[in-house]
Amino acid sequence: MDSKLHNILVNKPASDDNILKLKQYELDDDPFLFMVVSDLSLERKYAQTLIAVSAKRYVVIDPMHPDGALTGNISEIKASYVKRMYGNAQLYVETEDSKKAVLRFTYSIASLCEMAALFLTHVGNGGGLEEEFEVVKATYEKLMNVCPKCGRTLVRPGAECMSCRSKTKIIKKLAEYIMPYKGTLIFCMFLSLAGTAFHLVSPYATGLLVDKVFPNKDVKMLVILVLVLLISYLASCGIGALRGHLLRVCGDKTVQALRNDVYTKAQHLPMKFYDKTSTGSVINRISSDTTVIQAFMLRVTQEVVVQFFILIGIIIIMLVLDWKLTLLSLIPVPVVVLGSRIFSKKIAPFYRKIWKRSSRITSVLTDTLPNVRVIKSFAGEKRAVSRFESHNADWVEMDKQASRIASVFPWIVSFFIQCGSLLIWAIGGLWVIDSPETFSAGLLVSFISYVAMFYGPVNFFANLSDSYQNALASVERIFDIIEAEPEQDFGENTMEGKVEGKIEFKNVNFSFDRTKKVLSDINVVIEPGDIVGIVGTTGSGKSTLINLLLRYYDNYEGEILLDGVDIRQYKLENYRSHIGYVQQEPMMFSDTIFNNIAYGKPNAHVEEVIHAAEVANAHEFIARQPDGYDSVLGERGVGLSGGEKQRVSIARAVLTNPSILVFDEATAAVDSETEHLIQDAIEKLISGRTTLMIAHRLSTLRKANKIIVVDQGKIIEFGSPEELMALKGKYYKLIEIQSMSGKGLVSWEEDI
Amino acid sequence: MGRRYLDGDSVIFTKKDFCLVDAKLYDGTVLENLEPRRLFPVSGRTKYITLLDQQGKEQAIIRDVDNLMKESRKIITECLEEYYMIPKITALLDVYDKRGTLKWTVETDCGIIEFQIRNRHTDIKVLYDGRVLVRDSNDNRYEIVNHNDLDKHSKTLLNNEL
Repeated sequence: MDSKLHNILVNKPASDDNILKLKQYELDDDPFLFMVVSDLSLERKYAQTLIAVSAKRYVVIDPMHPDGALTGNISEIKASYVKRMYGNAQLYVETEDSKKAVLRFTYSIASLCEMAALFLTHVGNGGGLEEEFEVVKATYEKLMNVCPKCGRTLVRPGAECMSCRSKTKIIKKLAEYIMPYKGTLIFCMFLSLAGTAFHLVSPYATGLLVDKVFPNKDVKMLVILVLVLLISYLASCGIGALRGHLLRVCGDKTVQALRNDVYTKAQHLPMKFYDKTSTGSVINRISSDTTVIQAFMLRVTQEVVVQFFILIGIIIIMLVLDWKLTLLSLIPVPVVVLGSRIFSKKIAPFYRKIWKRSSRITSVLTDTLPNVRVIKSFAGEKRAVSRFESHNADWVEMDKQASRIASVFPWIVSFFIQCGSLLIWAIGGLWVIDSPETFSAGLLVSFISYVAMFYGPVNFFANLSDSYQNALASVERIFDIIEAEPEQDFGENTMEGKVEGKIEFKNVNFSFDRTKKVLSDINVVIEPGDIVGIVGTTGSGKSTLINLLLRYYDNYEGEILLDGVDIRQYKLENYRSHIGYVQQEPMMFSDTIFNNIAYGKPNAHVEEVIHAAEVANAHEFIARQPDGYDSVLGERGVGLSGGEKQRVSIARAVLTNPSILVFDEATAAVDSETEHLIQDAIEKLISGRTTLMIAHRLSTLRKANKIIVVDQGKIIEFGSPEELMALKGKYYKLIEIQSMSGKGLVSWEEDI
Repeated sequence: MGRRYLDGDSVIFTKKDFCLVDAKLYDGTVLENLEPRRLFPVSGRTKYITLLDQQGKEQAIIRDVDNLMKESRKIITECLEEYYMIPKITALLDVYDKRGTLKWTVETDCGIIEFQIRNRHTDIKVLYDGRVLVRDSNDNRYEIVNHNDLDKHSKTLLNNEL
């Protein structure tokens, strides 16, 4: 039988053994449609197992099944589902009389198995085969959207893999930062060469003084040589100062550009990057890593070239003076070069470790200093200090270990260099004593000076690997940000004029890190102008629903449509500008109240801002401030009460005149009077706009015409408040409890 | 009702299918179809095991599995081992570094596996007791029980990444 197994949809090639086993179950009239190759056996060992699915049957190959395989008819399946556990998951198949775990796998293929489970369930319950197979094909296509070299998911089909870009490209990218200053840098290089040339005059002049001037008592020559030396010193000092200034300016500009780019990129990174990376480590990269790279880049462009020419120049001069002594002076070079290779291997891991520890210190600072009120209120000062001290001590310990290597090595090199000089003194000295007519004392003095100068560049190249390793670690971390996948923003559509505001969630599933589904099977349609209350327990998925709508996360399954268009098809900036978002904890910038309100519309007219503040019931308290709208807020809005900050943030939303409004428990943290003021502001704002309101207090939802009840990541009830009351489900229960409390202040958590 | 803590001989567990257990308490109460889960999957593998019913509501907490009666201890341990899969890395066979993205080939108690680590700064965590927790690019977890106990080759490979 001619096998068709090689042409079916599959996530990765199956082993020959498994293909052989599967062939036994191949049927001409019922060919396999797709196959999921798994990475775990049912007994939790890494092994290749698989499930192959045809229109009528499924076959699982796993050594734990009798005869190594399990088959079943899809028509007998009542339900199939994936149970995600910790670090692994299982595919279950349920029939009328049994329930079985048929396949085990790691998270790597969990979403494929979920697709297979849906296929089995839908087809098993009479669903259309072709429609279901289309879903399967789409899932495989999405999965195949990976880099053929490294297997990482690409940002979009056909995109260049961030991780496989060649090293040359990185160097080119780094070079882009210094290219604008290439003219100045080349000029500095010439200055450096000129300075070195003047520097080389001195040993030669010293030799002449010893050999010609002192023995012949030539005063005229003495004066000329002293003047030559004076001019060469002056010139080399002047050139050094000018070069230092020019290099510093170039360096500052390079670091400025690099920092700007990293910060800009940091602004466009998706939320999932910040979920996994501490802000401390990002700050460290922007502040210190850029400086390290800047220093290294200048060193490479300047010193490497200059030192190389100096090295060649001195060798030529030394060879001209005496080739035998030149060869002698080269003896320590192999030791220095070999030592530097060993050194660079030893020191590299230390730079990473030191950075990691210093990043932890920054993390402690960014974590504790903004929370100093909490620390004080819980008398946690000593704990905070001891945590900081322990991280600081860690850093010192690591730096000490690195220092043992980094400090000792240059002295070992220096020792060998001095030994080289001793060799010249000893042998050259003998030659001066034995035959002063062929080898003069002046020549020896000049030669010794050149040897000292020769080891400068040698030392430089030996130590270059140290700073190279340090810079490499910084480059790695900077590129972690610069090359991180940005927020997906490939949509071409823009929303001009009035947005209707119809929102649809279609089969939306989402998990933050594949370990647990946060939202599953979300299907809901919100009509233009609807005021929708979202209620549910903490952690039920209410805020995640909003996060997806705001496109903080794009890696969900299914679709979210706005006015019939997938929200990912809109340009991100344009899309978000149509949504006003008021958070539970309003974020304030350390700026004036005016600028805080005008944040979303920087060119807003003064009267527009005042109007927005008025609508938000904020104008009166702002007017009472001694500095009015010019009052500068402290970090995170210090100087305003919680309710005042909330009203400023509502004014911010009013000013942008959004088509869709999102309130995430906007009144959760304020007293009843302030709640009334905020509620009043919200009611003025929402008329005619599609509004989503997450709320714990039902009193907040009195204007809502629809309610979504979310529980464990699923929408369990959706409809008008009246419909849900008639349903007598969870919403009804909540209303009942809150009515009993009389004040409407009982939160959802206290229910049931 | 206060939280129900279970200790030593105050409870007898019986095993059911698919990681589920029944618990018979000393006062005669029977709790059925409970799923044991660790409250501290990283720091306390045998301490504070919550027992969830089929609705995901906590019915009781086992303070310490090691203090349960022998048969019950075996049942709960089996359930937990079935649910949690954190392969223990016993040796690092190869570490390939491509500009920050690491590819590790390791030997674990579940066999040999190759995986990628996206970010060495956040996905490899060293704890003070010598444990190393590793997360791969697919969010699978691995553990090195004590990096000081690894063989010399593994230590050298690991040391470059810590």
